Amino acid sequence: MNTLPLPKRASVVIIGGGVQGLSVAFNLVEQGQKDILVLDAGYWQGGASGRNGTLIRPGFASVAWTELFVLTVNEWRSWSRRLGENVMFTQRGYSVVSEMEKSEAMLREGLKVQQSLGVNSWMLSRREIDDLLPAINKSRVQAVQHQPDGGVAPHHAVMKGLLAFCQRNGVDVRYRTAISGLERTGSRVSAVLVGDHRIEADCVVSCAGPNNPDIAAMAEVPLNGFGMRIEAMALEPTRPLIKPAIALIDSLAYFHQTSRGEVVGGTEVPERPRMSLKVDLPVMANMAKVYLEMFPQLGEVRILRHWAGQFHASTDYAPLMGEHPDLKDLWFSAGWSYGFAGAPAAGRLLAEAIAKGRIDHRMKPFALDRFETTGPIIEGGIVLA
Amino acid sequence: MDRDSRHPAVTFFWNGASVIGQRGDTVAAALWRAGITTLARSRKVHRPLGFSGSYPTGVLARVNGRPNVRLDQLSVETGLVVEMQNTWPSPRFDVLRLAQALPAKLVYGGFEHGAWMPKSGLAYRLAERAMANLAGVARPADVATVPAVVPGERLEVDCLVVGGGPAGIAEANRRVALGQTVALVTRGESLARFATSMGAAIEELNSDVRLFSGMELFGAYRDGALMVAASHDHRRGAVAFLPKETVLATGRRSIPPLVRGSQLPGVFDAHSALQLAAVHRVKPGKRVAVVGTGAEIDVAEKLIALGVDVVHRGPVSDLIEISGRRRVTGVRADAHIRCDAVVHAGPWRADPSLGFQTAGEGLFQVQVRPLPHSVSIAGAAARGDERIHASRHVHPDTLICPCMDVTAGELYSHIDAGETDPEVLKRLTSCGMGTCQGFPCWDNMLALLAARVGAEPEVFARPTHRPPRRSITVAQAAGLASLVEPDR
Repeated sequence: MNTLPLPKRASVVIIGGGVQGLSVAFNLVEQGQKDILVLDAGYWQGGASGRNGTLIRPGFASVAWTELFVLTVNEWRSWSRRLGENVMFTQRGYSVVSEMEKSEAMLREGLKVQQSLGVNSWMLSRREIDDLLPAINKSRVQAVQHQPDGGVAPHHAVMKGLLAFCQRNGVDVRYRTAISGLERTGSRVSAVLVGDHRIEADCVVSCAGPNNPDIAAMAEVPLNGFGMRIEAMALEPTRPLIKPAIALIDSLAYFHQTSRGEVVGGTEVPERPRMSLKVDLPVMANMAKVYLEMFPQLGEVRILRHWAGQFHASTDYAPLMGEHPDLKDLWFSAGWSYGFAGAPAAGRLLAEAIAKGRIDHRMKPFALDRFETTGPIIEGGIVLA
Repeated sequence: MDRDSRHPAVTFFWNGASVIGQRGDTVAAALWRAGITTLARSRKVHRPLGFSGSYPTGVLARVNGRPNVRLDQLSVETGLVVEMQNTWPSPRFDVLRLAQALPAKLVYGGFEHGAWMPKSGLAYRLAERAMANLAGVARPADVATVPAVVPGERLEVDCLVVGGGPAGIAEANRRVALGQTVALVTRGESLARFATSMGAAIEELNSDVRLFSGMELFGAYRDGALMVAASHDHRRGAVAFLPKETVLATGRRSIPPLVRGSQLPGVFDAHSALQLAAVHRVKPGKRVAVVGTGAEIDVAEKLIALGVDVVHRGPVSDLIEISGRRRVTGVRADAHIRCDAVVHAGPWRADPSLGFQTAGEGLFQVQVRPLPHSVSIAGAAARGDERIHASRHVHPDTLICPCMDVTAGELYSHIDAGETDPEVLKRLTSCGMGTCQGFPCWDNMLALLAARVGAEPEVFARPTHRPPRRSITVAQAAGLASLVEPDR
């Protein structure tokens, strides 16, 4: 824990010390950027970075998403080496399961996009389902789209690796340090305020997850999207039962068995929107029902923990990446609903854009002003409603 | 106290060998009577764990093909097949316990971020597979035992009383006398077990109180408007209570001493030791040491009256170490005393989980706030928590969290590096993330942290207590799906 006084200036101030913010910091270091300060209002892993399902896959149904996530999977593969820390990314495969004809057709449509972009992905035969998912209740399965390059990375290992890299390379990372304001000078953002303390900055990157709208409000600029709260739970550890990561596209559920044996996953029930870290009963009960139906052997396993996490979703649920069109030097990595999986790509693309001024074609579709220009991104392959 | 001939014998199986218990025994009590002390193995270095009253992980075993069943809540039945978990290839010939010889530092942080893990490639994939098998502890249920949804129940009441001790009974009776509809949830199969074993006179529970015994209230939702309990019996459904008011009369438990050896089989909290001796007629040990914060005098006397040989009684703060390899063989206080059981009667603290769940809120961290008016605390739980005696140099081998196998040394490795945020310590070590869900291990973790940095324990916020607090199966939870409407 850094207890030195805060600096008076920094080249880049990153707001948010989650996986997104630290990924930007890490990639900036690799680009040769010095003088990076990361500020976080909460504690290490306290936000969505420590609460998500940690699932990672390359293939979606749209070109924009698939290109971005092919990049992210490639980045994940090199993170342990580049960070010098084991992030425990494991490509154990990712199976998207449909329980209805309609969603099977959707998976087959998405498959065409994925294959055209070189994603290794196919629909499993009945025999392959037996081999890969021996414990699944096959009577419920309509079709399975399988992506062997997908997988998981436990967030404790990822966050530990990122933080250790950043600290080793001189990035100043401060948790429990909430910012109170942003200072504008003309058409650009010029400083970050922490209480009475002013930190002059050449560039500010907001990776504040559910608090991105608050950052936009401090800068007096608009930001598409809204706060969302979802819940997940973990079962008591058991010996391996489920190998790949699983998404149930009809039940809106996703889960995997961690390398320490806990089945971790979440689902959604339609609820009154509110921001909170508290949980309610219906998600747990519905998730339990899904487990029981899909993997009946989980029926006797006990539920260990149940928690909620918050994030910022854009109105098309696709990320918002880039410099704010109304305010120079204020960058956002916001709107993420698959933000843990996407963080390596986001960090790389944003760092290149900030350090070199190069906007990659894979980042362009996710520009903040797309709703007024190119329009929303239609993506049917996400497990979210 | 051998088997009581007035009770019919019940034969069941432990790791393939037959054990004779008697009707009315819990499996944990019957095994203790039979001289079987190690019931489970810790997840990292396979330390022997047993029935303690403090840590459920010591009494989790596979029963009739179902994983993680609590033996201290399960009555013996003829033919029950009980097996130790976390063993390989079999409970009787277990190679994994060689892990006890591993240097502690090798498994700091768990298997998951051990420094020994290969970074990538085939070596990592193999290591990960080995790790998954090591860390899994329990095998999934046999296919033959696959259950259906266990239907739950929904109940609106004027008052829900949690806890079947004297305070809970008194409160339930008082409410019924006021004309209220009252439900009472208690973990035990019978009421006021501790008070009865201490010889207190207990008032009868009014028959108008709807009694839910053998159940754990595991979750407080919607600021206390929804309270949910599940039975320890996997065949019984969970109950969603919608109470107008709730009284938490959950009492206090004795916190295990913060010394090396406190997890050894043979260390009991006062509740469990008296329960064993008074109800099951099983001696906690042949030579018993009793420590505490004052109550050890009364508890020792009660044990002596029940025929137990008490060889030491003294303040818990004088205790330096509990010695033994497989089970307790002695204690060190001012002198070394040979004994085979240790009973601790204090420091007494209340499990804060339900209050925390009811009133906690926050956007960056869930922090406890005052309870809403509809929820109150009664009885011993309202008396406040006693201070835990912690030295600045607790022996590094002292186990703080038996569920996740976290030692004082592992916590010190982070605290001494400057990390003093309990939420972060929890994430770095998994301390308190097992079945017990942070009680009593976070109490000891915070006491250890405070003593190490020379601060008061109260300056540190507790990590978040989340539902479910102990024991609801997936099949029981699924039975609640249609009973509670989402908050729209």
